[in-house]
Amino acid sequence: MGKYPRWPIHLALIAACFVMLVPFYWVLKTSVSGENIFSYPPSVIPRDPNPFYYVDVWYAIPFARFFFNSVVVSAITITANVVLNAMAGYALTQTFRGKRVVLMLFLSCMMIPFQTTIIPAYLITGKLGLLDSYLGLALPMFSTIICIFVFKASFDAVPRSLIDAAKIDGLSEWKIIWMVMIPLAKSAMATNVILSFIWSWNNFMWPLIATRSADMQTLPLGLARFLSYQEDSTGALYAFCIMVLAPGILLFLLAQKEFVQGLTSGAAKG
Amino acid sequence: MNEEDLPRPKWKRWLLNRFVLVPAVLVSVTVGWNLFVVTHDHGIVGGRVLDSTGAPVEGAEVKLWVFNFATFVVKASTTTGADGSFEFRNNPSHNIQVSAEKPGKGRSARVPIRLYFAAEDFVLKEPLRLTDGS
Repeated sequence: MGKYPRWPIHLALIAACFVMLVPFYWVLKTSVSGENIFSYPPSVIPRDPNPFYYVDVWYAIPFARFFFNSVVVSAITITANVVLNAMAGYALTQTFRGKRVVLMLFLSCMMIPFQTTIIPAYLITGKLGLLDSYLGLALPMFSTIICIFVFKASFDAVPRSLIDAAKIDGLSEWKIIWMVMIPLAKSAMATNVILSFIWSWNNFMWPLIATRSADMQTLPLGLARFLSYQEDSTGALYAFCIMVLAPGILLFLLAQKEFVQGLTSGAAKG
Repeated sequence: MNEEDLPRPKWKRWLLNRFVLVPAVLVSVTVGWNLFVVTHDHGIVGGRVLDSTGAPVEGAEVKLWVFNFATFVVKASTTTGADGSFEFRNNPSHNIQVSAEKPGKGRSARVPIRLYFAAEDFVLKEPLRLTDGS
């Protein structure tokens, strides 16, 4: 039993939840009622809710195709991020000449906005013949520096004696990463999966540049196209937002346990 | 030893978890919905036309309006039978309107119809009523 009552903390948490969740509720409510967001007095309960704005979105653009494109690009991005970032993160835990320079280089690269690297990224992707392809859409997000540091921080927390023991047992560096370090870094992996998914799913600029055919467009481009079709429909716009947001929310709800899982639970299995 | 203390079989651990069950439910719902759509998307829109006294109107022209980006345009028209009934068989849209008109009898208001999917079979519950025939 604690010394102090817990209700003030719960009250603060409920207030924080309320502030966080009200915008989501408002989007959901508007998507089924189509009420103007500027109407006064605002109604908390949706008036005459119906699913027809979702139907409008489905037929206004090739939603299924865009959704499929986004799923494929996100799957490629997540796979590449987990594999490449884990390897890079592990490399940065080792001692080698010029490590500080590499770290400084990584940190300084984080300050360069993606917009400034679009032209070289486009030229490289074009030279590789990957423009207007799923691989080309995912290529610039194959590895992100923040996620490398997430893995590095997680690997740094692993006792050195465990890695030494694995080496004595004859495991190669490759096997140490996948059989020792990764099981201990489930939280870092979940963070990588969720972050790379969100970045890939919401990416607008790169797909806008790298796609040529309408069939290769992703959902954010679909939203822009949809706005050009139906700029007067609040309900349909919010329905589109819900349809784009839903997979990300679902993935987070499915993986939230792993997301918050600590290193201790991973160590028990490793 | 209690039954709950026994370790679960491997297949149960693989199949009965949220990463399998949630996608499985979503796939099942999607397949079920698509089967329903395939069996109900003949583009049939039917109904009846009555005059202001409630009598069926024969020979009234009924128009099918389809939403086309910004406005509704006439997609098809048909004529009612002796019992005032009409039927369209080529509706391609999910957002339509129907209206009826007969010289001397008047015209009906355009009735908006929202469908759950394109070309959904639909029968108007309320008949179209012609008014202002004078």
